[in-house]
Amino acid sequence: MEKEQFYYDNKIVKMFLWATILWGVVGMLVGLLVAFLFVAPGLLEFAGSDNAIPWLSFGRLRPLHTNAVIFAFVGNGAFMGIYYSTQRLLKARMFNDLLSRIHFWGWQLIIVAAAITLPLGFNSSKEYAELEWPIDIWVVLIWVVFGINLIGTILKRRQRHIYVAIWFYIATFITIAILYIFNNLALPVSGFKSYSVYAGVQDALIQWWYGHNAVAFFLTTPILGLMYYFVPKIANRPVYSYRLSIIHFWTLIFLYIWAGPHHLLYTALPEWAQNLGTVFSIMLIFPSWGGMINGLLTLRGVWDKVRETPELKFFVVAITGYGMTTFEGPLLSFKNLNAIGHYTDWIIGHVHIGTLSWNGFMIAGIVYWLATKLFKTELYSKKLANTHFLIGTIGILFYAIPLYIAGFTQAFMWNEFNPNGTLVYGNFLDTLTAIIPMYWMRAIGGSLYLTGFIIMAFNILMTAKKGSKVEDELAEAAPLKRISSGRATGEPFHSWLERRTVLFTILTTVAVLVGTLVEIVPMILVDSNVKTIESVKPYSPLELEGRDLYIREGCNNCHSQMIRPFRSEVARYSDNDPELYSKAGEFIYDRPFLWGSRRTGPDVHRIGGKYNDNWHFNHMLDPRSTSPGSIMPRYTWLIKNTLNASSIESKLKGLASLGHPYSEEEIANARQSIATQAAGIVENLRQDPEFVKNYGDQNMQEREIIAMIAYLQRLGTDIKAGRTAQN
Amino acid sequence: MEVIYITIGVSILVAVLFFAAFLKSLKSGQYEDTYTPSVRMLFDDELVKPTKNTKTNNKQ
Amino acid sequence: MDVCYHCGNDCEDNSLKIEQKYFCCNGCKTVFEILHQSELNCYYDFEKTPGSIPNDIKEKYGYLDHEEIIGKLTSFSDDTTSVVQLYIPTIHCSSCIWILENLHKLNDGIVTSTVNFPDKTVRFTYKNKAITLREVVELMSSIGYEPYISLDDTEGTKNKVDKTLIYQVSVAAFVFGNVMLLSFPEYFEVDEYWLNQYKYVFRGIMLVMSIPVVFFSARDYFVSAYKGITHRILNIDIPIALGIGVLFVRSVVEVAFDIGSGFFDSLTGLVFFLLLGKFFQKKTYNYLSFERDYKSYFPIAVTKINEDGEESIPLQNIKKRDRLLIRNEELIPVDCILISGNASIDYSFVTGEAVPVVKESGAKLFAGGKQTSGAIEIEVVETIAQSYLTQLWSNDVFAKKTTKSIKNLTDTISKYFTIAILSIATIAGIYWSFIDVRIAVNVVTAVLIIACPCALALSAPFALGNILRIFGLRKFYVKNADTVEHLAKIDAIVFDKTGTLTSTNNSKITYIGTELTADEQVILKCLLRASNHPLSRALYQYLPVDYKKLEVHNFEEVLGKGVAATVGEVSVKFGAATFVGADKARTNNTVIYIQLNGVVKGYYELRNEYRENVPLVFKALAKEYTLVVLSGDNDGEQVYLEKILPKGTQLIFNQKPEDKLNFIKRMQSDKRVLMIGDGLNDAGALMQSNVGISISEDINVFSPACDIIMDAKLFQKLPDYLRYAKKTVLIIKMSFGLSFSYNLVGMYFALTGQLTPVIAAILMPLSSITIVIFVTLCTNLLTKK
Repeated sequence: MEKEQFYYDNKIVKMFLWATILWGVVGMLVGLLVAFLFVAPGLLEFAGSDNAIPWLSFGRLRPLHTNAVIFAFVGNGAFMGIYYSTQRLLKARMFNDLLSRIHFWGWQLIIVAAAITLPLGFNSSKEYAELEWPIDIWVVLIWVVFGINLIGTILKRRQRHIYVAIWFYIATFITIAILYIFNNLALPVSGFKSYSVYAGVQDALIQWWYGHNAVAFFLTTPILGLMYYFVPKIANRPVYSYRLSIIHFWTLIFLYIWAGPHHLLYTALPEWAQNLGTVFSIMLIFPSWGGMINGLLTLRGVWDKVRETPELKFFVVAITGYGMTTFEGPLLSFKNLNAIGHYTDWIIGHVHIGTLSWNGFMIAGIVYWLATKLFKTELYSKKLANTHFLIGTIGILFYAIPLYIAGFTQAFMWNEFNPNGTLVYGNFLDTLTAIIPMYWMRAIGGSLYLTGFIIMAFNILMTAKKGSKVEDELAEAAPLKRISSGRATGEPFHSWLERRTVLFTILTTVAVLVGTLVEIVPMILVDSNVKTIESVKPYSPLELEGRDLYIREGCNNCHSQMIRPFRSEVARYSDNDPELYSKAGEFIYDRPFLWGSRRTGPDVHRIGGKYNDNWHFNHMLDPRSTSPGSIMPRYTWLIKNTLNASSIESKLKGLASLGHPYSEEEIANARQSIATQAAGIVENLRQDPEFVKNYGDQNMQEREIIAMIAYLQRLGTDIKAGRTAQN
Repeated sequence: MEVIYITIGVSILVAVLFFAAFLKSLKSGQYEDTYTPSVRMLFDDELVKPTKNTKTNNKQ
Repeated sequence: MDVCYHCGNDCEDNSLKIEQKYFCCNGCKTVFEILHQSELNCYYDFEKTPGSIPNDIKEKYGYLDHEEIIGKLTSFSDDTTSVVQLYIPTIHCSSCIWILENLHKLNDGIVTSTVNFPDKTVRFTYKNKAITLREVVELMSSIGYEPYISLDDTEGTKNKVDKTLIYQVSVAAFVFGNVMLLSFPEYFEVDEYWLNQYKYVFRGIMLVMSIPVVFFSARDYFVSAYKGITHRILNIDIPIALGIGVLFVRSVVEVAFDIGSGFFDSLTGLVFFLLLGKFFQKKTYNYLSFERDYKSYFPIAVTKINEDGEESIPLQNIKKRDRLLIRNEELIPVDCILISGNASIDYSFVTGEAVPVVKESGAKLFAGGKQTSGAIEIEVVETIAQSYLTQLWSNDVFAKKTTKSIKNLTDTISKYFTIAILSIATIAGIYWSFIDVRIAVNVVTAVLIIACPCALALSAPFALGNILRIFGLRKFYVKNADTVEHLAKIDAIVFDKTGTLTSTNNSKITYIGTELTADEQVILKCLLRASNHPLSRALYQYLPVDYKKLEVHNFEEVLGKGVAATVGEVSVKFGAATFVGADKARTNNTVIYIQLNGVVKGYYELRNEYRENVPLVFKALAKEYTLVVLSGDNDGEQVYLEKILPKGTQLIFNQKPEDKLNFIKRMQSDKRVLMIGDGLNDAGALMQSNVGISISEDINVFSPACDIIMDAKLFQKLPDYLRYAKKTVLIIKMSFGLSFSYNLVGMYFALTGQLTPVIAAILMPLSSITIVIFVTLCTNLLTKK
C-alpha cells in the first residue's frame, strides 16, 4: 500500500505526434494531388500520353488518400492523444513499454505497406478496408496489441474512477476490432488476392455496416474521448456536464452500430433494412448533439480565453464541424434527401466537413498543446498557429461549399427530363463539365488547408528544437487496493436471485448468439440462398480476370454498379426500361460487390453490349477520344501489359468453394476458355482498320485490355438474356 | 442475406457486452459521483521538481 | 482593508501577513503555513481564496479513540488499512477537491482520499498503524475541513442506496431498444422474402431478451399484485401485472407455435415506461430526505466526567446519574440537571425559539437544547430513550405512520378499473366462445393487454412528481406524492402561533424606561458591538445611531448574565435584571436591562412580530377553510389577534404539546386537518394532523415529523400552494379521462379481435407518452402564473 512513483511515458506520445504530422502532410498531399486530377486529368502523365504511369492513376491514389488520412493521420493523432490522456487519467504508465513500441512501429509498418500495395493495385475495393489479406492480419495483430496495452493500463490503474474519455477509447478498441474482422473475412487465392466470403448484397451490407462504423468508431469515438479530455484540460475548466457526457457515451454506443444501412438506401438491400438504418441514423442526432453542446458549453464563460488560445479556437471550429456533420448525417438518411445526395459530391463535402474540421482541427489543437507539454516550452509562434487556424478555416469553407453546390447541380442535372420524356442532359459528361469550376475551388480549398497544416508542422518542429529534452514525467500515486467489493463501495446487499437474474440473462443471450453464429457462419460460407435469378451465371475465367483488373484499377471509385429504381436512372443507364434497375439477384457472383459510392463517371452496371469492343478499347487508350471532356485517366498499360492469368485455377477453386458453380472441368479448362474468349474479342477488335493498323502485328489476345473488355461487355447482361429467353 | 445474422448477431453481442460493462460500472459505483471526476482530471499530478521527489522518498 | 488570502473574509487589520499575503485570523494563517510547508501552494491557484477558517477543536474528537466508535464509522478495516467516509460540509470548490485528494502529501499515513463533490464526502484510505482516525479528523480540521460526524453515520443507514430500480430500468431500456429494433422490420413488410427467412431468429431473440424484463424488471408489479390480492385490495398493480403476464404468455405462445410475432415490443416498452415513471417519482422524492430523524442532529459521543478524569463515551452508553461535560455549541443529548456553569440554552431545534434561555444550576435541561455560553456540567436524570424529546417522538402517532394515509386516487380508481376490465374480458370471452374459441382466447388476452393501465399508473406519479419538483423549486418541500393528494382534501387549518405566525428573525424591539440620549445610544452600541451574544447582535442592529469608535475598557461578559464595560468614561452594564440590579418587569417577553454609571435606565423588550402577511393569508383562506390558532402562550395577545384575523377564527391559548395533539385528534372526527407549526414541540400535532407543515426560517433545521417543510419567507404563498394541490388532483383526474379514452379505442380493436402487434405497439407507448406530456405541461402551466 505504499505510494508508488512512476514515470509517464512521454516518448511514445512524441513518436505518435511526429507520425501524425508526417502522415498528415503525406495523406493530405495525396488528397490534393487527387483533387487536381479532377481539373487536370493529364497532370501526372510525365512519361507522355502514351505511357501513363499505373500507380499514379486516380483509381489507385484515391484509396491511398483515404487510408492515409484516416488510418495514418487521424489514427496516429488519436493514439497520440490516447497515450497521453490515458496515462494521466488512470495515473499509470502504459501497461507495457514494449507493447507501446510494437504498437507504434507496427502501425507505421501498416501504413508503409498500404502506401506501397495500394498504388500497386493490391486492393480489395471495399472502402476504408482496401488493404489485402496479409496486411489485414497484421492490422488485427497490431490492433490487439493496442487493446492489450489499453486494457492492461486500465487494470493496473491507480485511479478508481474511469473517466468518460477512457470509455470512448475502450469502445473504439472493441468495436473496430470486431467490425474489421467481420468485414475483412475473405478467402485468399494468392499472395495478395482474396475474395470476400460475402457476395453481392450481403457484401454491400456488411461493408457499409463496417464503413459506417469505421466513421463512428475510428473517426468519432476516439476523437470524442480526446475532446472530453483536452477541451476541459486546455480551457482549464470542467466539462459542462459530466453526467451528460456519460449519457452521451452510452446512447451513442447503443445507437451507432445500427446506422450502417443508410449508405444503401434505394439499393438492392431489403426495404426494411434500409428503414432500420434510417430510423437509427435519425435517432443518432440526439447523442451527437448532446456531445457537441457539451463540448461547446464547456467553453462558456471563457470566450476571452478562446480568443487568446489558438488550441481552443481549433476546438471551437472542430466541435462546430462535428455538430454540422452529425446534423447532416441524419438528414442524408432520410430517403428522399438521400435520393438526391447519394452518388453526388455532396457526400464528399459532407465527409470532409467531418474530417477537415472535426478530425483535422481537433488533432491540430491537441498537437499544439501537447508540443508545449512534451517539449516543456512555449509554442514557437502563436502567430503562426493563428495563421494556420485562419487559412485552415477558410480552406474548409472553400472545400465544402463548392462541393455542396456541385452536389446539388449534379443531382439536378441527372434528374432533369425534357417534356418529351428524354433526359435533358443525356450525355453524362455534360453533368460533369458543369461542375469543373467547383472542383477548382475545392482544389484551392484543399491547398489552403494543407498550407495551414504545413505551417503547423514547421511551428512544431521549431518548438521541439527550442524545447527541453526531458523525456518522461514523474508522478506519484497509491495503487488501488482491492477491497471486498460489497463493502468497499457501500453496495447494498443484493439477493442471490437478483444478481443471478442479470448475469443469467447476459449469459443466455451470449450463449444464444454464439450458438446462432456458429450455426449461421458455415451456412454463409458454403451456400448462399439469396433469391436467385435463373439467368444470372458466374463469370467466365476471362471476365473474372477482367473484373479483378477493374478492382485493381479502382474503377469503382468513380463508377457505380447500382442503378436505383428511379425513372432518371433507368432512363440514363437501362435503356429506359423501368424493370431494369439493379436487382439483388444479379450480384450473387460478385465478390466483392462493386456498387461504388460515388458517380464521377456514369454507372456501368448495364454497360455490357451498350458499346462495341472497339469503343471500349479506344476509350481505355484515351478516354477523351471517345468522350470529349472526360476526366478519366488513360489506361495505356492495360493495352501493353500481358494478362497474368497464372492463378486463375486457384481463383476459380476458391470461388467454387464459396459456392460458385464452377465444375472441376471448367476449372481445369480455364486457360483454354480464356484463350477462346479472348480470341473472339480480338476478332471483334480487328473489324476496326485503325486497330489492325496499330496493333495488328502484336499478340493482343493476351493483353489485359481484352479481359477488361470481356468483363465490361458482360456487365448487367444476364438479366436481359433471361428475359429474351423467356420471351 | 444470411449476412444479416452476422450483423445482427454481432451487433447484439457487442451491445450486450457493452450493457454488461455498463451494469458492472454502475454496480462498482462509477456513476455515484458525476461531478468530481470532471474536476479531478484538470489537476496535473506530475512532480515537477526533482527535489520534491527525494524529499518524499525520505519521508517514507 | 485587504481580504484574507485564504478564506476571502475581510481582514480587520493587516497585521497578519506572509510575503504580501494577508490573513484575517491566525487560523487561516496557520492553514496557509501548513500547506506552504508541504508545497501544496497549488491550492490557491485553482480558485481565489478557497479556504475556510479552521475551528478550534481541542479535545472535541477524543471519542474517536474509542474502538467501538471507530469500528462503526469505518466501512472497512484490516490489520494495516482502514477506509472511512466522512461528510465535510465546507467542501465548496475545485481547490477543495485538489487539496483533499492530495492529503497524502500532508501525511504519509493517508494512502488515498477521494472526494465526492456533490455529496460533500471524502473517502479516506489510511494506514491505521501510522495514523488514527482521530488524527485524520484533526488533520482535516486543522486545514479548515472539519468533518461532521453524527450518530446517523454510525448506524450505517446513509450509504444504503438501493440500486435495484436502476438496474431494472436499465435492463428494461436496453431490451426495449433491442426489441424495437428487431420487431421494426415486421412493421414495414410482413411478407418479404428474406424477412420470412429469419423472422424466427428475430422473434427468438426477442423472446429470450424479454425474459429478464418480465422476471426481473417487472418483478415488483407481480409481488405487489400478489400482496394486493392476499390483502383483498384491488390495487393498480393487479391489472398491470395481469397485462404484463398476459402479454408475455401470449407472445411466447404466438412465437412458439408460429402464430405471429408476439407483443414483445409492447411488453418491454410498457415495462420500461412504467419503471421510468417509478424512477422519476423516486428521484423527485429523494430530493429532500425526510428520513432523517433526531439522531442525525445528535453527537455520537459525549464527554463523561469520572472521578479520575474525563472519558468519551458513545451516546448509547449514557446511564442515569452520569456526570457529563457539555462544551460550548454542543447539543444536550439527554434530559438532565444543571450542576455547574452558566447555562444559556438555545432550544431552537426543539421549539423554534431563537432566543437562548438562561438557566440556574439545579434547573432541569431538556434534550435537544444547544449550550451557547461556555462549558457546563450536567447530571443525567434519564437515559436517552426516556428523554423528553424521544418520548415525544415515540408517541403513538409516530409509530403508525402509514395508517393515516387514506387510499390514494390511483388505488381508488384502480379498484373499479380492475373490476370493469375483468368483467369486459369475461363477457367478451363468453360472447366470442360461442362463435370461435380461438378468437375468444385472442379477444380475452387482447382486452387484458390493451387495458393494462400503464398510462393510468403513470399519470399520478408524473403529475405529482412534477408538482413536487415545482414546489421544491419554490421552497415548499413536500414529503411524498400522497401528501399532495391529502393537501387537496383539507378543510381545516390549524396554526401554531409562536414561530409560525410570528417570525423569530425580526423581533419587535421596544424600549421602556428613561429616554436614552443619542450619546448614550452610541455608547451602548459600542459595547454591543463587542459582544457576540445573539441578543446583543439583535439590539446592535436595532439601535438607529451611527457607530463611532469609542474606547472600550474593562470589558467583561458574564456568560448567561450580561455584559459590563467602561466605554469612554461611562461604565455600562446590560443584561438580566439581577445582573444590573433592576426590578423584573412583568412580561412574558425577553427583556434586556440597561444600567449607565450605576443608574438603571430601563429595558428593551423583544417581542416576536407577526409575519407581514398574516391577515391577508387568513383572509384568503377563511373562505374555504375552518381556521384555528393554537398557542402555547397565554392569552395576552387575544385581543390583537381577534382584530387582525377574520371572524370565525378560533383562538385557543395555553396549549401544551399534548393538548395540541388532542385538539387535532378531536377535530379530525369531522374534518381533515392541516397543521402548520414549527419545531419539535409541535411534532405530535404535526404528525397527528392529516397534513403537517413545518415552517422553517432555515431549511436545514426542521422538524422531521411533518409532511411538508416550508420556507418561512414564503408564508404568504400558502393559499397558492393549497390551490396548486387541488388543481393537480384535478389534472390527474383529467389525465385519467384521457387514458380511459385510449383504453376505449384499444378496447374496440381488442373486442373485435383486430388487435395486431403494430396497433398495440403504437397505441400503448403513445398513450403513455401523451399522458406524461399532458400532465407535465398542465402542472407547469398551472404554476406559471
